[in-house]
Amino acid sequence: MTTLLTPVAATLPRARPALIAAWAVLGLLALAALWPDLLATAPPDAVDPASALAPIGPDHPFGADQLGRDVYSRVVHGARLSLLIGLGATTIAVSVGALLGVLAATAGRTADEVLMRITDVLLAFPGLLLALLVIAVLGPGPVNTTIALGLAAVPGYVRLSRGQALVVRESGYVRAAVVLGRSRAAIFFRHVLPNALPPVLVFATVDIGTALMASTSLSFLGLGPQPPTPEWGSMLAEGRDYLDSAWGLTVFPGLVVTVAVIACYVVGAHLRARFEGRTPGGR
Amino acid sequence: MISALRWLLRRLALAVLVVLGAATVAFAALHLAPGDPVRAVIGTLNPSQDLVDRVRVDLGLDQPLATQYGQLLGRLVTGDLGESYQLHRPVAEVIASEIGWTAQLAMASLVLALAPSVLLAVTTAGRRPALRRLSTVLELITASSPTFWIGTLLLAVFSFRLRLFPAAGGDGIEGLVLPAAAQAVGLIGIFTQVLRQSMERALDEPFALSARARGTGETALRLRHALRHALIPVVTLSGWITGALFSGAVVVETVFSRPGLGRTLVTAILGRDLPVVIGVVVVAAALFTLINLVVDLLYRVVDPRLREQAA
Amino acid sequence: MHNRSSLRHSPLCVALLVVGLTACGTDSGGGTASQPTTGGALTYATPVEPDCLDPAVSARDVTALVDRNIFDSLVQQKPDGSFQPWLAERWETAADGRSYTFHLRTGVRFHDGTPLDAGAVKATLDHAVDPATESRYAAGLIAGYQGTEVVDPHTAVVRLDRPNASFLQALSAPYLGIQSPRALQGDPAGRCDKPVGSGPYRFVKWEKKVGVELSRNPDYAWPPKDAGHTGPARLDSLKITFVPEDTVRVGALTSGQVQAVASVPPGRAKTLGGTVQVLRAESPGAPYTIYFNSAPGTVLADVRVRQALRRAVDLDQLVKAVYFGQYQRAWSPLTPATPFYDDATKGAFTFDQAEANRLLDEAGWTTRDGAGYRVRDGRRLTLRWPHTADMERDQRGLIGQGVQAQARQVGIEIQYTQVDQGTIGELIGKRALDLFDVSFTRPEPDILRYFFGTDSTLEKGGGNIFGLDIPGLDKLLTGGVSTLDQAERTRLYADAQRYVVDNAISLPVYVPTSLVGVTRDVHGIEFGAGAYPLFYDAWIAR
Repeated sequence: MTTLLTPVAATLPRARPALIAAWAVLGLLALAALWPDLLATAPPDAVDPASALAPIGPDHPFGADQLGRDVYSRVVHGARLSLLIGLGATTIAVSVGALLGVLAATAGRTADEVLMRITDVLLAFPGLLLALLVIAVLGPGPVNTTIALGLAAVPGYVRLSRGQALVVRESGYVRAAVVLGRSRAAIFFRHVLPNALPPVLVFATVDIGTALMASTSLSFLGLGPQPPTPEWGSMLAEGRDYLDSAWGLTVFPGLVVTVAVIACYVVGAHLRARFEGRTPGGR
Repeated sequence: MISALRWLLRRLALAVLVVLGAATVAFAALHLAPGDPVRAVIGTLNPSQDLVDRVRVDLGLDQPLATQYGQLLGRLVTGDLGESYQLHRPVAEVIASEIGWTAQLAMASLVLALAPSVLLAVTTAGRRPALRRLSTVLELITASSPTFWIGTLLLAVFSFRLRLFPAAGGDGIEGLVLPAAAQAVGLIGIFTQVLRQSMERALDEPFALSARARGTGETALRLRHALRHALIPVVTLSGWITGALFSGAVVVETVFSRPGLGRTLVTAILGRDLPVVIGVVVVAAALFTLINLVVDLLYRVVDPRLREQAA
Repeated sequence: MHNRSSLRHSPLCVALLVVGLTACGTDSGGGTASQPTTGGALTYATPVEPDCLDPAVSARDVTALVDRNIFDSLVQQKPDGSFQPWLAERWETAADGRSYTFHLRTGVRFHDGTPLDAGAVKATLDHAVDPATESRYAAGLIAGYQGTEVVDPHTAVVRLDRPNASFLQALSAPYLGIQSPRALQGDPAGRCDKPVGSGPYRFVKWEKKVGVELSRNPDYAWPPKDAGHTGPARLDSLKITFVPEDTVRVGALTSGQVQAVASVPPGRAKTLGGTVQVLRAESPGAPYTIYFNSAPGTVLADVRVRQALRRAVDLDQLVKAVYFGQYQRAWSPLTPATPFYDDATKGAFTFDQAEANRLLDEAGWTTRDGAGYRVRDGRRLTLRWPHTADMERDQRGLIGQGVQAQARQVGIEIQYTQVDQGTIGELIGKRALDLFDVSFTRPEPDILRYFFGTDSTLEKGGGNIFGLDIPGLDKLLTGGVSTLDQAERTRLYADAQRYVVDNAISLPVYVPTSLVGVTRDVHGIEFGAGAYPLFYDAWIAR
């Protein structure tokens, strides 16, 4: 059982077509995030009140929103922020978590005990509650959402990387380094950290999807980026009132979130399986 | 026996520390946050300075931080969570009246999630590759769909279009179905995966082989023996599940305009209702540590090997 | 005063806003069904919950909605802005405008059995201004209140330190509804939860986050003169529930779970049909307006920039798109339903981005930077517009985004940023903003002074948050509140409205409109001049 944000087990589809499709989705999302203008047909904030709530058609593949903005283009432009938040939050979680986890494993018994007890406490809290608290302090917004989600995921990575570091610590070359009289810091940075990190990173790929989903939830609650910034969660929240007249406003942003999360999970699970196959007892 | 008692005492002491820690962190965090809670409480654009000062004194926010912190701890020891700035009611009362709604939702979601998960796991574990593959895809989709989206779609279809369920209010069972379903969807995928994995493991255990040898039918074996083993990991997940249900409640209660702890927390955060935020955090901390403690305790009962390790 | 972005519903009861009622012709609450029936329960779902049911404390519009059923007022305002008797049978105004003598009706009893007397009037008004009450709104309504003298049990003299033409309007608001003196003497702690008045409904209970429950006052026999009937209310009970999500609230109505809902999203008003009808009432007071910080030294101090901003935005289209034609575009700083509204400001300027560009060029903002925004002396043409989403309604965020996008087309950068309520208070305190948006419901033209008067700055408890000093306007507004001569007031307020529009002092956007959805078996719901529904005459056909 993993102790990360998602307890998604390893039985995800590993069939080749599924994997290829997942990579394709991620590729497309990356393209949308890096060069949205290649895919979008209009600027995301091009207001045109005359075509407000225009139906799905050649001009507007996903319809137009309340201000006549092209929903498809806004979904495309929304990729950057959503992916950035997902990646950013996971990066924060991994780097802070790994640092603390490896520190706990190498810095002696007292530090280990204190760090791990705090970790246990935080692990008991639901991630979203932690994130909400962080937002309560920092205020809403994309950067703060990223930090909040990242910090909320830290405890899981502390425990995971501590476990990895303990395995590494007992390995031959670290013992050799200790025998050779290398300094603690040298052992920490040169041996333990680099070797404990790869398995943690593999686990992290799945969490990108979870962080992405959590970030859209926060935006949905009105705690994410501000309008008119296109973001999937807030687009969905804004479109809800028009479910009966323009369902595209609600359905498409939600669909894109789901597809993106699935792609992250499939790719992540695949990487994890490959990694575990290569290093037996990797966790 | 002594070691068990020591273990329990240690864990209880830790639990108290956790609750105090949670209160401290929440207190520090909210007082560091920008924005004046007094203005948020008054809620009007241009309160007179006199009104601001009076409300500040009323709320005790004119005291030095150390005094306020001391008062908070003093009250906590007696079980008093203070009074809400926005609702003008004791926080304990607010939480007591809201927690029922959330607990009700959580239980309903749990039932709605467990039933299909057990069914899926029992029927697909270790056999029927086609069905299993389909189930896997389904699990993936449900685990990947944001709750707020599912909730909105459920509302649109089952309430607005088909009018099968009421859209608002939690009067009775009908009002509970859609919110609980929205929350259950996300859990089904995860439950099924966990259940099936441990089910498959259990089916390879010696007891399963011997049961088969005794001529126990496959269905009976799965339902009567393997399922019990398969449910243990779900119990170990209870901490995570409680957390997930609470997180889910934050979103679901908003989508469906239901009362409950989740919505109370979001409203309190937006309205800078410090006592309510601290109160919810403290109660949540107590609840989560308690659940973890109970789970660990059950573990020691179930699996004697752990008793040696834990010392 | 008010929650920013939430309408101030200042009340007066039965006065019907004939202008606003279009969906249903003359019979506001439903078809021309048979005879009114007595009995039954009505549930009304509204998005916001009151913070306190003591009317003297709260500033929320929903408090007025609830409390209007529980409390009666001394006088009642009619749609034309004049007043008629209610709990006061008649009254006299002193020649100097500084004291009012009220002769009270006899036989009125509060819900706790206490009879209405002059002491109750004194207790209510004293309670409102008592600093310990921490009034958010009521105390401000009667600024200048000096005290009440009980002449005899049915005669009260209220004294003011200066003439105040809006005083009777203030008294007609539920915020100054007359409270039971016995209840006011009781424990102050639970007062928010125990409102005791003399109104057609009695308070039963308030389940937080869920709703308020009221039951018929069987002794009620003192409605205002032009109410639909006399005697007790027709409904056995009235429940007001809190359902913040628009979709859910409307869904509750269409599925028959509730009988009436507040704030039907304009986009749904036309598509509901079937078993539901939508009643409309335009709010009196200040429309939803973008106020300009034109204090000396600011970007908007230059009238050409203000005019350019006004012309850059296609408000006709924007308001139509966002509100589906359900809300009217506003022109005057007062809405059409306000006494002394002047129609002459309509169409005062047009959407014309070429003209906007010309004005900005003329004002010296000639060059553009890489992002396409205008620059002068190395400074970008930036306007700061902080807003708070805490209680944002009517999808005003969309209006903000639309204004922002169209201002950009002429090279104006609008920083439309969302902050919390505390932060916005601080920004206002530092005057670190250029635009501010708010609407304000009060059937009284004196709100112009509230927003623009030099005696109404933030420091003095007013809504002139930028501290504007516009002598030409100030004179008109001070004149308007100091005279009780109707013709004189008409002239002064017409001039004031034109002054605001001619000098581009603010940008009125739309006329907030109450869209109340009711099922077809609900009848007799009327609107007060505060544009919220009244339930005294309401009944349900069976």
